[in-house]
Amino acid sequence: MTAKPATGTTSILKTAFVNALIALVLFSLMVGIRTEAGASGQLTYWTRFGELASLVAAVFGGSIVIELLRQWIGPTGAEKLVPPAVQSGMSFIGRYLAPALLIFTLLVPVIFYNQRYILDLAILVLTYVMLGWGLNVVVGLAGLLDLGYVAFYAVGAYSYGLLATNFGWSFWICLPLAGILAAFWGVLLGFPVLRLRGDYLAIVTLAFGEIIRLVIINWQELTGGPNGVSGIPRPSFFGIPLDNSDDGLAAKLGIEYSPTHRIIFLFYLILALALLTNWATIRLRRLPIGRAWEALREDEVACRALGINTTTTKLTAFATGAMFGGFAGAFFATRQGFISPESFTFQESALVLAIVVLGGMGSQLGVALAALAMIGGFELFRGLETYRMLVFGMSMVLIMIWRPRGLVGHRAPTVYLTKAKAISSDLVKEGHG
Amino acid sequence: MTTSPLLAIQGLRAAYGKIEALKGVDVAINAGEIVALIGANGAGKSTLMMTIFGKPRARAGQILYEGRDITDVPTHEIAHLRIAQSPEGRRIFPRMSVAENLQMGADATECTEAEREATLQRVFTLFPRLKERYDQRGGTLSGGEQQMLAIGRALMSRPRLLLLDEPSLGLAPLIARQIFDAIRTLNRQDGLTVLIVEQNANHALKLAHRGYVMVNGLITLAGTGAELLQRPEIRAAYLEGGRHG
Repeated sequence: MTAKPATGTTSILKTAFVNALIALVLFSLMVGIRTEAGASGQLTYWTRFGELASLVAAVFGGSIVIELLRQWIGPTGAEKLVPPAVQSGMSFIGRYLAPALLIFTLLVPVIFYNQRYILDLAILVLTYVMLGWGLNVVVGLAGLLDLGYVAFYAVGAYSYGLLATNFGWSFWICLPLAGILAAFWGVLLGFPVLRLRGDYLAIVTLAFGEIIRLVIINWQELTGGPNGVSGIPRPSFFGIPLDNSDDGLAAKLGIEYSPTHRIIFLFYLILALALLTNWATIRLRRLPIGRAWEALREDEVACRALGINTTTTKLTAFATGAMFGGFAGAFFATRQGFISPESFTFQESALVLAIVVLGGMGSQLGVALAALAMIGGFELFRGLETYRMLVFGMSMVLIMIWRPRGLVGHRAPTVYLTKAKAISSDLVKEGHG
Repeated sequence: MTTSPLLAIQGLRAAYGKIEALKGVDVAINAGEIVALIGANGAGKSTLMMTIFGKPRARAGQILYEGRDITDVPTHEIAHLRIAQSPEGRRIFPRMSVAENLQMGADATECTEAEREATLQRVFTLFPRLKERYDQRGGTLSGGEQQMLAIGRALMSRPRLLLLDEPSLGLAPLIARQIFDAIRTLNRQDGLTVLIVEQNANHALKLAHRGYVMVNGLITLAGTGAELLQRPEIRAAYLEGGRHG
């Protein structure tokens, strides 16, 4: 704070000017002069100074915008040009964002009752919020880089799909079973990778995710192979079906049947499951086991010296994360009514991991925001067609430049004397893998 | 000294792969003592510390703690026997707050809330800086404060035997003195038994009741701290020409 770093209007203008100059040099030949082979093979060329000027102007303007943004939310150390009013506003938003989001989420089916598309999208976002929160236990808290999280999602989905279609068990019996089975597979994955960390762990978990998918494809007698499992029963409202039959919920309540009822029921179901995940994670973080997970992420040797059983600590992290993945999988199966191995590719694992990293490892709110941005944003850019992935990738890169620790990069301590104080993201070590 | 020692190490051998780091070490630590273990880099001092905690496992020999053979006890259970360790390089949890770091030490042992609070207050009396920094992230502390935190964290498990690996490493002389003073206080007032590994032989031997000198995985000299300080070979190898206290 003593040495004044180069900020302010002059430096921004200087940077923008230099960038514009570079653009001028680069584009003068690339854009400014257009060459083409003429009719008889001779070289013809003409100048396009108008286009050149607009490009350079765009670079100049863009540089100013980027510099401004960089100084507003950019890296630490530099003095920020953010006015105090904005800063206090930000902290106000920070405090009330989570409750406001929750209330808004609760009201989504009321506000968008007739918009099936938005309701479906909201369910999808919430599914990924739940997956993100589940993976957050493994990656964010315990620091175990898991690239095969989709395996547990698949185990949960197939557990419900197969138990329901073969034995006719209800969703509410299968849901805990799916969680238990997924947790069991989590432990099974955990055992061989106990000694691994970082890159090596990532490779093995990646392979594990693929193994589960390949087994599902090839074990035709059980899973139906590539044809998948169809006719998976829809969830009932604690035994009362949500259809237009005489025993249906609508008939019992004496209201007119609408297919939207089922969608809204699914919405609140996944919301409840996601909130359960969140609640469990927050509770666990305050218990010795949650602290042990975080300590394990920080320093394994120190953990052992403090009498932490690193084996059980790692296995419980894998099992807990996997269990929530299994719950989400069971929900996915009952929502779709049909599952096939195609839904459980590596891309899903990568997407969930991206949500966790983008949101800020260990931050519950960050993960929720990132899921909203990733899944919702992806839909938002649908109009851009082929450029969608490009815009999407660019925005991810930009977020990682400006917020290297994720959207919400601070972690709140769980032991304190007076009141909880958030540890600023500036102080959190980055690039921990 | 006819009573059996708190920690007795007999003929201990340990190796990393094929490289033998401990080649038959005998060390005895009586209750209420400060014992210093000095020696050059790579002599096996830290390995001895780690082997007491079962990582690496002893290949031969015995470790007796309060008369019980703990040679094959799993690492995480050793900490529950009220042996605490402040490992080399401090190894605090950088992203967790000072409070959480200390709590991690208390998590290892079953103790009542009142006992935990009393231990915490004791740590604060020894290292008032930790109280000032209580809500701060471990990684933002200075080197000396981190060392205080590492010792404080070890103390939170209410140990009978404290193993300290190079507590003065990389610290300014004044801070190192504070750390040594705190160790002396713990020993005198709380009756804590301490095994301290140090390269700073002068400081360590002045602090310790007895000392061992380790060379290439073997104990070559043993005696009281004052005796060892007088030995010409110690003076030549560790005090003069080498690093000073």
